[in-house]
Amino acid sequence: MTPANVDTLPFNRGRQAREAEVMLDKLVDEFTDNPAAMAYFYDLFRRVYIQGEALERPAAPQVGMTCIQVPEELIYAVGATPVRLCNGAYHYDQIGADFMPAKSCSLVKATLGRLQDQEMGVPRVGKLDMIVNPSTCDQKKKAGAMMEEMGYAVHHLEFPNVKESEAARIYWQRSVRDFAVQLQKLTGKRLTRKRLNQAMARTRRAQTAFRALHNLRKQAPSVVLGKDVFLVTNAYFFDDLERWTDAVEALVAELKERAAAGFNAAQRKAPRILFTGSPPVFPNLKLPLLIEEAGGVVVADETCSANRMLYDMPVVDEWLVNHMVDSLADHYLKPCTCPIFTRNDDRCRRLLDLVRDFEADGVVYQAYSGCQVYEMEQRSVGKVLNEAGIPMLYVETDYSPDDMGQLSTRIEAFLESIKTRKRQRAASGGQA
Amino acid sequence: MTSRLRRAVDNVDLQRFRFWFQAAAFVLFVYGGYLAVDLGNSLPMFSCGYNQEGRAGVCYLLPLQHQLSRPWPQLFGWAGIGVLTGFATFFLWFIVLNKGWCGFMCPLGTLQDWLTSLRKRLGIRYSLYGEQAFNRLTWVKFVLLALMFLIPLAIGGGLLSHDWGAPFCQICPGRVILPLFTADPLQLTIDYSSIGTLVLTGLGMFIAGLFLVGAFIKKRFFCFFCPMSALHYLISKPALLKLKKDGDKCTKCGNCFNVCDMEIRAIADDLERKDIMTDDCTLCLKCVAACPEPGALKVEFARINIFQATEEGFLKRMNKGAGHDACKR
Repeated sequence: MTPANVDTLPFNRGRQAREAEVMLDKLVDEFTDNPAAMAYFYDLFRRVYIQGEALERPAAPQVGMTCIQVPEELIYAVGATPVRLCNGAYHYDQIGADFMPAKSCSLVKATLGRLQDQEMGVPRVGKLDMIVNPSTCDQKKKAGAMMEEMGYAVHHLEFPNVKESEAARIYWQRSVRDFAVQLQKLTGKRLTRKRLNQAMARTRRAQTAFRALHNLRKQAPSVVLGKDVFLVTNAYFFDDLERWTDAVEALVAELKERAAAGFNAAQRKAPRILFTGSPPVFPNLKLPLLIEEAGGVVVADETCSANRMLYDMPVVDEWLVNHMVDSLADHYLKPCTCPIFTRNDDRCRRLLDLVRDFEADGVVYQAYSGCQVYEMEQRSVGKVLNEAGIPMLYVETDYSPDDMGQLSTRIEAFLESIKTRKRQRAASGGQA
Repeated sequence: MTSRLRRAVDNVDLQRFRFWFQAAAFVLFVYGGYLAVDLGNSLPMFSCGYNQEGRAGVCYLLPLQHQLSRPWPQLFGWAGIGVLTGFATFFLWFIVLNKGWCGFMCPLGTLQDWLTSLRKRLGIRYSLYGEQAFNRLTWVKFVLLALMFLIPLAIGGGLLSHDWGAPFCQICPGRVILPLFTADPLQLTIDYSSIGTLVLTGLGMFIAGLFLVGAFIKKRFFCFFCPMSALHYLISKPALLKLKKDGDKCTKCGNCFNVCDMEIRAIADDLERKDIMTDDCTLCLKCVAACPEPGALKVEFARINIFQATEEGFLKRMNKGAGHDACKR
C-alpha cells in the first residue's frame, strides 16, 4: 500500500482494517453460543483494529515492549504504561519485509512494520517514549537496532540465553535493576516499595483472573473455545489493566455458570488440543480458528501470547524494593520456556504437564517460517510427545492467508486421526 | 467436611502460624523448667542445658559429649548401654518432626528468625552466600559433627585433657545466649584456667557475637554450620514428617528457592528426588507456602498429606503479605 492510499481511504477501508475485520467476523460469527462476556473483547478489537480508535491511555509515558520478558510491574510502578508491540497483521508483515531477510519471522517483521507508522500504527497508543527490547532471539535483537534507526528510544534489555546457571541469574538481575534505573529517569518518579507493591498487586489480580480462566478450561466438556481465550490474552497486550481484569472476571463468572449447567462450547467428542509454538497474535489467529472450525477445541496453550505471559506468578519473601526487584527478575527468567534458551527440558515437561492436566488428545505445534528456534525445537518436542503417546501436528506457516485451505485439510485429517484413535482405544478397552 | 478442613489448612497464613508456634516453643523450652516441665535430656534441638533454671529438657549434644568422653574401657563396656539408650531416645524424639525441630522448635532458630524480623522492620536487606560460598560452606557442619565425636573420644582415650570437655557446647552460641533469657549471665565469661578452656570459651564468646551479627544480616546464619542439623540429616530416612516434591508438576519458577532461608537450590532445580529435604533444610515449610503449583510440594506425616501447595493458598498468602507491607508504611 502506498502512503497516498492511507490519506485518501478512511481507516476502516485500509488493508490492515480489512484483514482484522475478516478475522474478527469469522471468530465471532462462525460460532454460535459465544459467551456474552466476550462482547467486551469483540468490541475492543473492533474499535482498536478495525475502526483504528486511539486507546484511552493515562497521560503518562508510554513504554513499548517487544517481549514478555520485560518486567511490566516496574513500568507501572514508575507511573508509565506498558504496551506490548508484538504484532499479528499480515499487512504490517509485508511492510516490515523491507527490513528483514526474506526467510524471517512474520511476528518480528510485522512488529517492525507497525512501528513504521508512529501515528496510525495499530493498536494506536500515541507516541512511544521508550521501547524495551530484550535480547532474546537473533531477529528480535537486530530488530531492536532497526527500531533505533527509525528514531525510537530503545532500551536493549540484556537477557541471558541460558537460564540454569547462577551466573545467568545474577546477570539478569543486574540487567533488570539497570532497567529500573532507566525507567526512573524516564518518568522522574522514584521506584518505591509502596509503588512497586501496588503495581504487583495490580498484575497479580490480572494473573489471578487469568488463572481462573485457565483452570476452567480443564472442564470436559469445554466451557470456552480457544479462539476466545486467545483474544482475551491478546487484549492484555494493549488494554487498560483494570478494565481487562474486570472483563476477564466477568467472563470467568459466566463460564462458571456454564460449567455448573454442563454446557458444551464445542462439538460432542471434540478432540482436545494443546497449542504450542510461535504465538498467535490477532489478527493472525488462523491456526486456532482452523482447529475449532474443524471441530477441535483448543483447551490449553504453551505460547508467549497467552499462557506463558500470564501463568507464572512471582513470590516475595521480604517486601523491600531490592528484594522485590530481584524476585521479579527471577520470575521473568526461571520459569520461562522460550526456545531461545540453550536447553529446553522445561518446555517439554510443561507440555506433558498441560496434556495431563487438560486431558489433551493432541498437540498442534505452530512455527512461523523463519522462526528458527521454534523450528529447531520441533524434533525434540515431537520426540518427547511421541514417547508419551501424544500425537503432534507440526505446522510451519506465516501470516499470509494463502495457506489456509491447505492447512484446514491437514488439520481436519489430524483431528480425524485423533477421533479414530479414541474410538479404537475405547473399543479395545471395551473388549478387555 | 474433610475437604473444607483440607482447604483451610492449605490456605494457612504460614508466617503467622509459625511465628506463634515458635514463640510458644521458645517459652516452653526456655522457661518451662520453672513450671517443672522436664522432657529429659535427649532433645533433638538446642534446649540448652546451661540454662539450668528455665530449661524444659536438655539438648542431646550435651549428654552425648559427656558420655563419649568416658574412659574407653567404660565406654565400650557397660556405659555403652547408656549411650545407646540416650541415642535411642533422641532418635525417637527426632523421627516425629524430622528437621521440623529446627524450623519450628529450636530456640536458637527462633532467635535467628526474630533477628530477621528486626532487620526487616528496619528496612535492611538481607545478604546471601551465593552459590559458590554455599557449596564451600555446606560441609562445615559435617566437620563440626565429626569433631564433636572425635574430641570427646580422644579425652576418654587419655589423648586430651578434660579441659576440652563438651567442646561443641563450649563454642555453641546457645550456651552463651540462651541462659541470658533467664537472667543468667554466668556463661558470658572466658575461662582462663587452662589453655583448653581459654580457647573454647574464647571461641564461644566470639561465635556468640558472630551469631548475633550473622543472623541479623543473613537469614538462619547459624543453622548452616549446625552439627545437630548434620546429625539430623544422617538419620532422617525413617522420619515421619517429610517434605515431598512432584517434579512433573514443577514449573521451575524458583519461588521456593527465592524464599528459602537456607538458599537451597535443589528445592527448585531437582526434579527427580521425591524426598526433597536436603542436609541444610530446616523444614520451615516456607517453600510449600510459596509454591503456586497444586501438589508440586507437599508435607506428609506418616505418609498422610497434611499440607500442600495450592494456587488459592499461594494467592491468599501473597495478598496478605503485600497487605502487611502496606499497613506498615
